Amino acid sequence: MNGWHGQALHIDLTAGTLQRRQLPTDLLTGSIGGRGLGVRLLRDTIHLTTDDPDLPLIFAAGPLSGSGVPASDRVAVVSRSPLTGTVFDGSAGGTFARDLKSAGVDALIIQGCSPQPVWLRLSGTEASLQPAAQLWGGDIPTTLAALSGHGSVATIGTAGENGVLYAGILFGQGNAAGRGGLGAIMGGKQLKAISVQGDQATTIADPTRLQKANRDILRLFRASPPLFGEFGLQAFGTATFVDLMAQRRMTPTDNFRATVFPNSTHYSGPALRHALHPTSGGCNGCPIACKKFNHSGIPLPEYHTLSHFGALNGLDDLPALLAASADCYRLGLDPVSAAVTLATASEIRGDTLTAADLTPRLEAIAQCKDEGALLAQGARRLAVALGRPEVAMTVKSLELPAFDPRGAYGLALAYCTSGRGGCHTRGNPISYEILRRPVPTDRFSFAGKARMLRIAEDSIAATDSLAVCRYALFGASLEEYADALSAVTGVDYSSAALATVGANIVLTERSYNLDNGFTADDDLLPERFFTAAGSHGQDTQVPALDRDRFLAERCTYYHLRGLTDTGTFPAASGPLLP
Amino acid sequence: MKRQIAFYRNKLLQDGSAIDQGLALLAQDDGIISSGPDDLCQLGAAVLTRLGGCALILARPPLPISEWLIAHAGSADTLIPPDSETRTFLHDIPILRRDEFRSDPVAALTARLGQRKGVLVEGIGLVAVGPLTLEQAYVNLSSLFHALFVKTLHDLLLQPCGPQEQALLAAVRAWTTPLTLAGLAFCDRADLNGNTQIAHEMERVGRYTVEQRLVDSFFGNISCRDDQQIFISQTAASLDALSGCIDPVPFDNSTTCGITASSELLTHRRIYEQTDARTILHGHPKFAVVLSMHCATRDCAIDDCWRDCPQVRDCVGTPIVAGEVGAGGLADKVVPVIANSGAAIVYGHGVFTIGHHDFAEAFTKLLQIEQACRDEYFRRVDANS
Ligand code: SF4
Repeated sequence: MNGWHGQALHIDLTAGTLQRRQLPTDLLTGSIGGRGLGVRLLRDTIHLTTDDPDLPLIFAAGPLSGSGVPASDRVAVVSRSPLTGTVFDGSAGGTFARDLKSAGVDALIIQGCSPQPVWLRLSGTEASLQPAAQLWGGDIPTTLAALSGHGSVATIGTAGENGVLYAGILFGQGNAAGRGGLGAIMGGKQLKAISVQGDQATTIADPTRLQKANRDILRLFRASPPLFGEFGLQAFGTATFVDLMAQRRMTPTDNFRATVFPNSTHYSGPALRHALHPTSGGCNGCPIACKKFNHSGIPLPEYHTLSHFGALNGLDDLPALLAASADCYRLGLDPVSAAVTLATASEIRGDTLTAADLTPRLEAIAQCKDEGALLAQGARRLAVALGRPEVAMTVKSLELPAFDPRGAYGLALAYCTSGRGGCHTRGNPISYEILRRPVPTDRFSFAGKARMLRIAEDSIAATDSLAVCRYALFGASLEEYADALSAVTGVDYSSAALATVGANIVLTERSYNLDNGFTADDDLLPERFFTAAGSHGQDTQVPALDRDRFLAERCTYYHLRGLTDTGTFPAASGPLLP
Repeated sequence: MKRQIAFYRNKLLQDGSAIDQGLALLAQDDGIISSGPDDLCQLGAAVLTRLGGCALILARPPLPISEWLIAHAGSADTLIPPDSETRTFLHDIPILRRDEFRSDPVAALTARLGQRKGVLVEGIGLVAVGPLTLEQAYVNLSSLFHALFVKTLHDLLLQPCGPQEQALLAAVRAWTTPLTLAGLAFCDRADLNGNTQIAHEMERVGRYTVEQRLVDSFFGNISCRDDQQIFISQTAASLDALSGCIDPVPFDNSTTCGITASSELLTHRRIYEQTDARTILHGHPKFAVVLSMHCATRDCAIDDCWRDCPQVRDCVGTPIVAGEVGAGGLADKVVPVIANSGAAIVYGHGVFTIGHHDFAEAFTKLLQIEQACRDEYFRRVDANS
């Protein structure tokens, strides 16, 4: 096989066994890899509760990982989320995917629960479980340092060990499968870390064709303002969005009670550049290099972290925001969920977070102790427990990121149709509603947004399955990546064929969620967005969303997916992953 | 949606990339809405349903370039545009011949459009898809026409012209509309001040650029500076619809809002930093693009001339430089030559012109260069006959 190895490593932590098994060819060609492969492999176990040891935690690379295709070295971590109850995948960069492939496997399928803490070591053809009593209780930097020399490492912090519902899995250099509490699944299995390394190459079917495909991708990257432009991701990292969202009146402020925060300039891209003179770095083989580091090599916060600890919590003190970001990284917490949960608590209690509160509260969350025990449950559970469920700015219990949906109506829809809960990345309407890629659309209109969203979701699901970074779509498209995939694997794919795989993934995820009790009522934004306006600007009005128009467009979306008015499958159901 | 279809229909007829009887536009939301001849609309509807995208345009160009290109393509199943901009965007253009098309046209067309943004179809002309919007289909169609027009004219320079080619050239001559400044008004330098006035003037001059066919679809860009900032058209903005699509970008980079500015922002900035330009206009006039690629040098070792040619060549008195758009280094090539000449042609791409005080100078220069390139093109091709 080219591209894929056709093998997965099955790890049974209860029995302590590790076994390489073949992955059927049609399963790989039909689901591709990454998110698609992970979702497909969950088919028989997705009904299991998140504390059931048999619920798998899957790490899946893509056929392009290790092939040199730009931005293709991502790994998907897939399971069921303890926070949302949905099927959940996180995409992480760095070098893990490359090194997983170089150990000769496409995926790790981890089940069971170890009687004592262990870490998994995969080095070439050798795989073993190692005692991790020494590592347990350690933070992320300490664990990464302890396992240096073992290749690429994925690990959890104390948050994951203690079952924080939004604990992430960290990969070093600021890379993470951060959202949805996948770190708590790993911690529940008593698995502290995973290291991977090897020397097996990803073989390529047609190197000449691949060279051309790579050239086409890179030319489009270089011509893309959001990637290589003066204010693009390469220049400023995701902090570039601070100013843009402020200008568009889309900055969630004061727990989404306003949409502009005048002091966001204190932590904008130019402010970070001026204060810290950051250096750039990126995931393996990625020319975009969107990661920013301070002079000591510590990763700087991403946009959502800055904005949610900043505007959402009323803080503008750059050192405090940097410290909060570093705390989340150290403890293994998802900064987005942590910041929204803190903002929810502040709104309910009628107080305001101070810079000095941040570190102790984040520590308490990671330890699940005192007030941290409730905060560790996430915004929805906290708001319900405190009798104010309407204050939780979540969809399917996932805390919303730092793009206010009143400023982009496709985004409002995308938060609700996303299979993993309130998240923009599944359909990324920011691309065509704000960044004008590939074409501009009217952000304050619902017209046509259901179809755009369906197409974008399919495209992104396919991209996630190639294990390509979603930012690549700001420049290139499935058209160029289909050429690259065909060149690497020797299997002919068109962009339409990839989009079909993407659609099957989205529908499969939906079917899992429906089977686990989700309904159309869960595909809804919090009431606040339908009743309260955002912050108007001089030339920009940000009214509350029109509920009827929203529901009509959601219904159109269901129909375009072949679903009923209520988002369920008709008797003869649509295509799912093979 | 009906209004939009009528708008883009009119635009394609105005910009000369389609004839009325051979033009069908289709868009779908809840159902499919179409405009054009029944047979094309039926075919288009079946294809669009299978593709699931938002829009589809089928267009017969007013020139026999499709037929000529297919006849001269040999057994190739794709055409590769030689110009750099559309090549970046389209990569290659699949050809669908009558015999492949006959038995199941819907399947054949759907399969090709599943791979590329547009297709050249024997007997129909150009077909382009817009997955997200009708505008996207228009942009793809317009780019397809630009790429194939430029390729045809470039190919005609490289071979002796027989009767078929003469007929084609006669049609091209008839197709070219006169370039003229008559009736165009420009804002005086004294009035080109303040955000509103600058924006209005950019909108007006952008419209002139499109009306005179000096740019296609949403390519091309325009800017004007004041003491603090550059006002520049946004990326993916049509120059004839710039209202609300102009980004102010401060020289001190104190905000990143310019992330939505044109991909040529860096070139504009460098020109402003290193010359006394007040305005910049960048179009893709077709004859200048064709001539920029017509090089007399033989046995040159360079393959990617569009990017790597180290020479500053000359065309109608205007310097030609090579360079890749966006972050590909174009700014470094354009800036050294534009200060003296006030204009630069970029190999296989387009033309930059500057105005020292207003847009009248930049626009007049752009127009004059294209007129001179037209005249020179026909002189060369006639000499070839
Ligand atoms: S764009 Fe950034 S996150 Fe994506 S692969 Fe490149 S460096 Fe990693």
